[in-house]
Amino acid sequence: MATGEQPPGQTLGDRLYDFAFKNRVWKSIFRSGYPNTPRNQMLAVATNVFLHLHPTRIHRTHVKITHTFCLGGLSFFLFLGLTITGVLLMFYYVPSIERAYGDILRLETDVRFGQLLRNLHRWMAHGMVLTVLMHMMRVFYTGAYKPPREFNWVVGVVLLVLTLLLSFTGYLLPWDQLALWAITVGTNMVGSAPILGEPNRFVLVGGFQVGQAALIRFYTLHVIALPLIAAIFMAVHFWRIRRDGGLARPL
Amino acid sequence: MAVSEQAQPVSGAVKGRQRRAREEELLVWPDLVFIEFIAAVLFTITLAILAVMVDAVLLDRANPAVTPNPSKAPWYFLNLQELLLHMHPALAGVIVPTVALIALGAIPYFDTSNEGQGEWLSTPRAWPNLIVGSIVGFVGTMLLIFYDASSHVRLYEWIANPGTSKFLSNGDLNPSFNGWPESLAFLKSLRSIETELNWPDALTSIPVGEKILRTDLLGLPAIPLEINVAKVIVEQIIPVSTMIGLPILLSIVAWKVGLAQTKRDHMILQFSGFIAVFVILTIVGTFFRGEGLELVPYTIYSHG
Ligand code: HEM
Repeated sequence: MATGEQPPGQTLGDRLYDFAFKNRVWKSIFRSGYPNTPRNQMLAVATNVFLHLHPTRIHRTHVKITHTFCLGGLSFFLFLGLTITGVLLMFYYVPSIERAYGDILRLETDVRFGQLLRNLHRWMAHGMVLTVLMHMMRVFYTGAYKPPREFNWVVGVVLLVLTLLLSFTGYLLPWDQLALWAITVGTNMVGSAPILGEPNRFVLVGGFQVGQAALIRFYTLHVIALPLIAAIFMAVHFWRIRRDGGLARPL
Repeated sequence: MAVSEQAQPVSGAVKGRQRRAREEELLVWPDLVFIEFIAAVLFTITLAILAVMVDAVLLDRANPAVTPNPSKAPWYFLNLQELLLHMHPALAGVIVPTVALIALGAIPYFDTSNEGQGEWLSTPRAWPNLIVGSIVGFVGTMLLIFYDASSHVRLYEWIANPGTSKFLSNGDLNPSFNGWPESLAFLKSLRSIETELNWPDALTSIPVGEKILRTDLLGLPAIPLEINVAKVIVEQIIPVSTMIGLPILLSIVAWKVGLAQTKRDHMILQFSGFIAVFVILTIVGTFFRGEGLELVPYTIYSHG
């Protein structure tokens, strides 16, 4: 079907094609025709809110897997996956030191696929830290931070910090020994800063030690504040890739 | 993918240079979208398999009264926790990571040339710089960690006094045998510089708050500040000079021998060194810090 739109009513295949892609419902959703011609393929990307993160055309070297190893895309993919599994986890979890641990236990034993859900969220979180770090390395070694992309590199560093904070705040939520003491060790590091360290630690933890106040703070940061900020920075990141003329290329 | 089919007739208004670029381009649909889709599917399958096979850990319910030994931060902060063992906590916990992040963000503002842009390690000396930077960062950090864990002392005692000492663990030393020379005791570890040298009292307790910064004379509360020069040297001056000095030294040597000639060369050298240091600190913090954060092999999650 590379030649373009078929005249209607020829073969069964063509009739099915028209039925599927040339009816009012389909056309009300996708304004361009089925993407089987170059024109429609470009329109498919340009008129779709999700796909239009991309340009309509891309340099052939950037399509090679070994140029990016898809690492930025995978980081974003993991972020989306974490959002979905995270929302599902929120159905079963109450951020109170009386309930949190029991909720996780019940999730693992009583909820169908609950353990799987938790595992997925956990592994995706670890995975995202790894892919973001590796994405940073690929950007560095391909020299893609050079002008005009300086600022997008800085946005990237902010995203790296946000990724670490997202993971760190999530670490406390199961309220087991691992969580409590990892967060105690981590927040004590903040407390060691000169002058403002202790006040900052106090605000972060909401008290002298990690307890209910810390749990609700970390929960709120983890499920709403940090994901929102990260989403905003990702939007800037992707916008800037387009504005800076796509991915970096040798001059 | 049908590459040739995608080549587009270009309008006459497009200039020659752009036309060449156009012919090098592919359409995002289907070529890129297809790859993204495959990558997403493969990744989903991998994650699903991982999630089915390996359960996320859940230890006992949090108990503020029971401190596990060792207590560790999440793995990506164990590099900082490792630094914490070797220097002042404010340095390791806050100042070093802050400076490191600012330096990371500043990379494009130092290296503003366009060389090597958009291609993997394409400048002439890229690979040698990557390799040298990584090895120096990795090995150098390891040696520093060994030094601070007194491994050289244990190595010496193990060789000089077979049978009475163990190399890999802190075995009880036979008190009668001649161990590490007393006169060199201050070289046992970084901390020994403070504890094993005879620092005069005048230097180890300078009453800054009481005698020098007399805020009480201004009607303000007195600052209870006492400076121990030995401590400052061990916890701050030596670590800071090491962390700044060794990378500079590396760059100077690489420049003198002709390894790093351009800014991009130095960047690759330093960035690779940084990544290597980050990796080795994380590995040591994760797998080689056991009870009391001693330098021993450690199985994660082995403690309740
Ligand atoms: C949540 C974290 C992040 C996400 C989701 C993300 C996503 C992306 C994506 C999808 C791309 C397109 C090319 C590719 O896939 O490699 C990209 C490019 C880029 N990223 Fe990121 N990124 C993140 C973090 C970072 C970090 C930590 C840095 C650097 C410190 C960074 C710097 C850049 C730069 C400079 C580009 C342009 C690369 C080029 O022109 O070749 N990003 N990012």
